[in-house]
Amino acid sequence: MIKSRRSFSFVLAMLMAFVLVLSACGGSKNNAEGNSNEPAVEAPVNLIWYTIGTPQQDVDKVMEAVSKYTLEKINATITMKMVDWGDYPQKLQVNVASGEPMDIIFTASGGFDYVQNARKGAFMEMDDLLEKYGKGIKDTIDPAFLEGSKVDGHNYGIPANKELPQENVWRFNKNFVDKYNLDISSVRSLESLEPLLKTIKEKEPNVTAFGMDKNFLPNIPYDYVIQNLPMAVKLDTTDYKIVNILETPEMKQALTTMHKYYEAGYIAPEAATTGSTNDLTTSGNWFADMAQTQPLADNLWSASYGYPVVSTPASNSIINNNSVQGSIMAISANSEHPEKAMEFLNLLNTDPVLRNMVDSGIEGEHYKKIDDTHMENLPASKSYDMPSYSLGNNMLLYLNPNDQSDKWEQFKKFNAEGVDSPILSFNFDGTKVATEMAAVQNVKEQFWASLMTGTVDPDEYLPKAIEKFKEAGLDKVIAEAQTQLDAWRTANNK
Amino acid sequence: MAALFKNLVRNKVMLFMVLPGAIWFFFFSYLPLIGTVVAFKQYRFNREGFWASIVTSKWVGWDNFKFLFNGSDAYIITRNTLLYNIAFIVVGLVLSVAMAVLLSELVGKTLAKIYQTGMFLPYFLSWVIVGYFAFSFLSMDRGMVNQILGWFGVERVQWYSDPKYWPYILIFVNLWKAIGYNSVIYLASILGIDRSLYEAAMIDGASKRQQIFNITLPLLSPIIIIMTLLAVGRIFYADFGLFYQVPRDSGTLYSVTNVIDTYVYRGLKTTGEIGMSTAAGLYQSVVGFILVMISNFIVRRMDKDSALF
Repeated sequence: MIKSRRSFSFVLAMLMAFVLVLSACGGSKNNAEGNSNEPAVEAPVNLIWYTIGTPQQDVDKVMEAVSKYTLEKINATITMKMVDWGDYPQKLQVNVASGEPMDIIFTASGGFDYVQNARKGAFMEMDDLLEKYGKGIKDTIDPAFLEGSKVDGHNYGIPANKELPQENVWRFNKNFVDKYNLDISSVRSLESLEPLLKTIKEKEPNVTAFGMDKNFLPNIPYDYVIQNLPMAVKLDTTDYKIVNILETPEMKQALTTMHKYYEAGYIAPEAATTGSTNDLTTSGNWFADMAQTQPLADNLWSASYGYPVVSTPASNSIINNNSVQGSIMAISANSEHPEKAMEFLNLLNTDPVLRNMVDSGIEGEHYKKIDDTHMENLPASKSYDMPSYSLGNNMLLYLNPNDQSDKWEQFKKFNAEGVDSPILSFNFDGTKVATEMAAVQNVKEQFWASLMTGTVDPDEYLPKAIEKFKEAGLDKVIAEAQTQLDAWRTANNK
Repeated sequence: MAALFKNLVRNKVMLFMVLPGAIWFFFFSYLPLIGTVVAFKQYRFNREGFWASIVTSKWVGWDNFKFLFNGSDAYIITRNTLLYNIAFIVVGLVLSVAMAVLLSELVGKTLAKIYQTGMFLPYFLSWVIVGYFAFSFLSMDRGMVNQILGWFGVERVQWYSDPKYWPYILIFVNLWKAIGYNSVIYLASILGIDRSLYEAAMIDGASKRQQIFNITLPLLSPIIIIMTLLAVGRIFYADFGLFYQVPRDSGTLYSVTNVIDTYVYRGLKTTGEIGMSTAAGLYQSVVGFILVMISNFIVRRMDKDSALF
């Protein structure tokens, strides 16, 4: 037995040696390739572009057409790899960690987190590249985007030019508004919703009066240092003090109102564990909810739900990190051709032909143009249906048949009206308090959704949550954030 | 060296049979062991790839382990993980052995096959689907259980915000899913028992009960011990799907549903510190390893032949 075991380990050792030799061969082959590419500067390069969205059947076909165009313009071809919504963060994490060849990576505050991964070294710092090859970008994109997406003073990505501020609205299912002749013009605060919700609850007991999922967050005039962690700065602050948002009177009042609505049955009993409100919007079985808006959003919603939706403002229009970092394209730190990648990003954000090809596919096959600015999808567009927001400058896109001609003008006006958050472009670095952050995250998960949706009584649970956050070390995290914020203020003369 | 080579030649058939498994273990268990070094590093990407990243990342000592022992949650997650796993092992063992014995005693073999398949089926369901099954029973306003309670005039229960029911629900759901698979293993081993032992017992006038307790169970005990030892090794790992999907990640239930794996996931999903999640995994395997060694030691003391090694 012992003897055979020894020979077994011998086999293992042989195997290991074999594998090492194999991998060494593989490595040297790669190197050789890398070297032989270098002298041939004129050879066209291929850029690998990872982006988010359900993989489309015609991606390769469209990219062939795109490559033909870019080969002419910048001597580069494009390979696009789409990764489905839910898999994107994990898949990209693995790709970056394992050094998979990539040139352009989609990133966002909600996708493959931009700030965190920039700090971890996933993206290439692009200040010089932007200066050298990105002139078009600097001229076209709202400067607030480039400013707001800086991490520790450097640019690591090109944000998509789209709606810039974050503004919440109350949305209403117009069918019910008309049926009961409700006046929505007087609605603004959370409290002002009450009479409307009450009417609906009485007259339509089977309709969800106030629709929401577990991510619901009442509007209060603070900006979060990290999304959904209870550290925030008041929007009209002068001393830049970070507070625990759960301890503010505004939050207390909002949560009390939410709990009142919950008890009254305006809110679905399982709101705190509901992942999305798709069921409600599809069935039309809801009356009011809160959403982020953009110009002409009512038309968009009405068209996608199939019944009229109207909205009225619920908050001011604020430009914060979250709204600025909603869609960014970065250059991978391991990119072999960062200059070409930058040239491509520049072209993508300034050239309408390329931008629309990437967005809608091949003209005459996936879409047709109606006039200079409008286009119409053809049946084949189903096999190339891309999320526009993630693919660069939106304001170059052709309009849909029923879009108003001044759509992008309205966007520019909307963007100009947004007010900067006091902590716009301050990005907290949690490395030093990583241990506490993990504990604080857990407390947040435990209390957040049930408090915010009004499921639990704030009189009882708010003190409990505050206590648990303290135990988890929130004070230490806030102190660290405050130190960083003060340093940032001094550096930026705020 | 010569002796070793001779040995190799003599056992070539055996070694060849072991080869596929050895390769698998090498790639998926031994090779990744090198990666545990990440648990002691603040992992940062390097453009040269994974190995370069490991080399250039900063050493942080035991810092990555601290979050597991920080604050009041440390006690709760350790307690939950351990107690649930002990309950799963004990109750699961008793029920799957009982089920296997019952199935082996069934005379109608077609019927036995049907039961077996029916019990086996849940094992293949994903936890996400099981989570929705449970939701269709426990939903506040449309759940089957609340509707039945309503018929009897009992007040509806907010299942997803009341922790007191969940230890039972979780144990039940886990057993429902796992028993079929385990009982098949025991059943296979029962069917391997020499039938002549039962014939001899019957001639001596042993009742069914006596046959089960004096023949089936004693002969089944080696496999029971092996299965239990293996389960003990994973006692610090919680089934993530069970504890995350089935309670629908409801915050109010955390006191009874938060286990090490869900704690790690919730704590790190936004910061994505690879070093800290590696540290958690390493901690779980080390504790599991120690527990297997201890329990194997105890088993060996009592019955040398049943021990794993």
